[in-house]
Amino acid sequence: MTNADPMTGIERRAGREAVLRRSPFWALGRVINSERPWPWIAPVVILLLGIGLYPFIYNIRNSFREFNPMTGNVEPVGLENWRRLLQDDRLHGAFLTSAKYVLAALVIEFVLGLAIAVLLNSGPAISGLWQSLMILPMVVPPTVAAVMFRVLENPDYGALQWLLEGVGLIDKQEPLLGGTGRYAMAAVLIPEIWQWTPFFVLILLAGLKALPQDPLEAAQVDGAGAWRQFWDITLPMLRPMIAVAVLFRLVDLLKVFDYIFVLTSGGPGTRTEVLSFYAYQRSFVTIEWGYGSVLGIVILVLAIVLANVYVRVFKVAW
Amino acid sequence: MSAMKDTDAKVAIYRAIEDWRAGRISRRKMLGVLAAAGVALTSRPMLRRSAPSVSAATLQEAAATQPEEIVAFLRDVGGQFRGTTIRVVSEETPPSRAIINLKKEMFEDITGITVNWEVVPLDQVLAKVSQDAASKLGANDIYYFDQAWVGRFINDTYDPRELLDQKPDLAMPNYNIEDFLEPLVRHIAMYGDKMIGFPCDVPIFMYFYRKDIYDELGLQPATTMEEYLENARIINEAKSGEGTYGTVGQMKSGHYALECDMTAYVWSHGGSVFTADGKCALADDFAIQGVEYMRQLQQYMPTAVTTYDWGGQFTAIQQGQGGQVITWGENFPGWDDPANSKVSGLMEPAPLPANTAQRPPEECGFEEHPDLGHQGGSTYCLSRYSKNADAAWIFLQWATCSNTQTMASIIGGGASPMRQSTFDDPRVKEAAQVGVAGTTRHFPEMYNVIMNRMGTEPHLPQWPLIANDIIAVELGKLTTSDDPTGPAMVEIAKKVDEAASS
Repeated sequence: MTNADPMTGIERRAGREAVLRRSPFWALGRVINSERPWPWIAPVVILLLGIGLYPFIYNIRNSFREFNPMTGNVEPVGLENWRRLLQDDRLHGAFLTSAKYVLAALVIEFVLGLAIAVLLNSGPAISGLWQSLMILPMVVPPTVAAVMFRVLENPDYGALQWLLEGVGLIDKQEPLLGGTGRYAMAAVLIPEIWQWTPFFVLILLAGLKALPQDPLEAAQVDGAGAWRQFWDITLPMLRPMIAVAVLFRLVDLLKVFDYIFVLTSGGPGTRTEVLSFYAYQRSFVTIEWGYGSVLGIVILVLAIVLANVYVRVFKVAW
Repeated sequence: MSAMKDTDAKVAIYRAIEDWRAGRISRRKMLGVLAAAGVALTSRPMLRRSAPSVSAATLQEAAATQPEEIVAFLRDVGGQFRGTTIRVVSEETPPSRAIINLKKEMFEDITGITVNWEVVPLDQVLAKVSQDAASKLGANDIYYFDQAWVGRFINDTYDPRELLDQKPDLAMPNYNIEDFLEPLVRHIAMYGDKMIGFPCDVPIFMYFYRKDIYDELGLQPATTMEEYLENARIINEAKSGEGTYGTVGQMKSGHYALECDMTAYVWSHGGSVFTADGKCALADDFAIQGVEYMRQLQQYMPTAVTTYDWGGQFTAIQQGQGGQVITWGENFPGWDDPANSKVSGLMEPAPLPANTAQRPPEECGFEEHPDLGHQGGSTYCLSRYSKNADAAWIFLQWATCSNTQTMASIIGGGASPMRQSTFDDPRVKEAAQVGVAGTTRHFPEMYNVIMNRMGTEPHLPQWPLIANDIIAVELGKLTTSDDPTGPAMVEIAKKVDEAASS
């Protein structure tokens, strides 16, 4: 008998592969068996680009157009919206208000957070319970927290107002919310600090717990006091943790909106009008979408620049 | 949880802690109760302004009384559009809430048309409608327009008079457009000779006072602005120590509500926002006098008044913080509601005090009509970009017909009538009882203000920017400072002129 099949083994394999190539599962098999990373990450990259990049590009396009209430149409305006940036006194005021807000919140939250973290790290018996409770404010949506504080700070029946009146810090004529608005900035900072100081506490506490004990024990042997140990050893070693926490909060604080919207609506006048609230006002109250887009881009650029300056100035090493 | 009262919540907190200490419940259970009670306590002030919920029995009763000719129209004509979904966007107002409550039994179940009704704050209504009008995509079929926006959107809706003429096969029998009160149509729904939609709501400034306090102090309802100010002073001196102030405003900085208060007092002192040649008149002596008057009144208000919008003002009166007030008439049924109000049965409506001076409408610009009875009316309008215009038109007619308007006025929540037939309806008159939720006992005085004392803001496309931002923010600076009124009003007038000419 002779072999009737004229095809070699190689030809048979090539034939099978050609059939497989026509199968819809062939490409999927190639991806699954691939050792290269791009087929795996490509879908996510495309998705993220779609979600992140498209609105950004749309915003840039929008910044060169403006809604015209007379015609009811969005019309091209060239660089007009960008020129307006330089002449807008209210924007400059909002910029200063944002700076005050960010600085005050960051300093207070950091100092309080560090103090509480050190206290909890010193090991009181119920520190575990406190650590759990610390998470609670952070899981409350900021808008809900703001509404809660609107009740607490109410000049007529607010518990916080009553407490501060009791210790003589404020009076009925000049309450936290209302009156001439002297304490309006404090009124919006209070929920901010209540909600986000625990963020510092948790990060710094984790850092404190992870610090090596040898340098501290050596300093003790050398006779360094508690303050000296903290200032010269603990704090420098904690620097990477501090850097991360401050950077996260800095970027977040630039976007603050909820507390302002619920508690003061930027007022009285423009006293608590921060950049993001001003951008909201332009976009959705006065329906100046183009200028609102410009302000959105400004906030984004500001966050990127500040974050980079911070990383370089403070020599943040990850 | 929504039914949980403040006392219940406090008792629940106390019991949960006691039970946990005694080992009867776990810590997890205790924290759960505390969280729920906490939410109830903190959310209550937000919920207070909401219209009361309407029982299923009331809705069924309302559906059962719907006239047969309307049911037949909805079934035969509306039924052609069975399966269609239409979209409405509006502010949370008493009539909107009432119609949302009524629509299932009285419209959707009969026609098979689904109505998706989105309720958002007023500024977001403006943003959504502007976006819709600019894109012309017809994302919403029916718009809710504040009267201040008619100039901006007049070309984005169908004139309902034309629809009634052009689509007789879709016209509701006996709809009777002439039944709408003429001043409401003229002030709220017209721009030039074009009609933007049907009037659906008229919050209008009325004068209310606490009868118990007036009686105790020997006061009479004010007939002049000076008497009103003097009454506020007397009440404040006698009662502010007990937490009841002379009056309460809606003076939240940066909020449209503040602008509404201002225009009412400017108008009642002979001023206006614009002159006939389109120039801002807010810096003239009459306007400054009006704003000075408002600042004098502010001395007799709680200090928190600079944080009150209309909701804050409503709640303050409901809590007994004001001895008298000139404000939106739609608040009254909520104050009379014994379940939620400390002043149930104590408030009384009175005729508005006479203006100190009054500028004739022909001396004002942009259809402005000065008078103390500031109206904040609104319209439901059919979008020119609607993809379901016929189904939406049928819904619009149903929502604004005499029977639906009457039902909306009496099921509770404070909806105000738009039609003569609603004011005259025996069911409406029957509901005019003292100290009950949804009372209509303020309607006769409301009718009087609509017909004789209605004040209307200017209608120009830039008005939302001027009213919601320029005046509201700049005036907010003034009312939270000791600065003199004159220079601030000059600054406001300058900015208004810039915006109006842009």
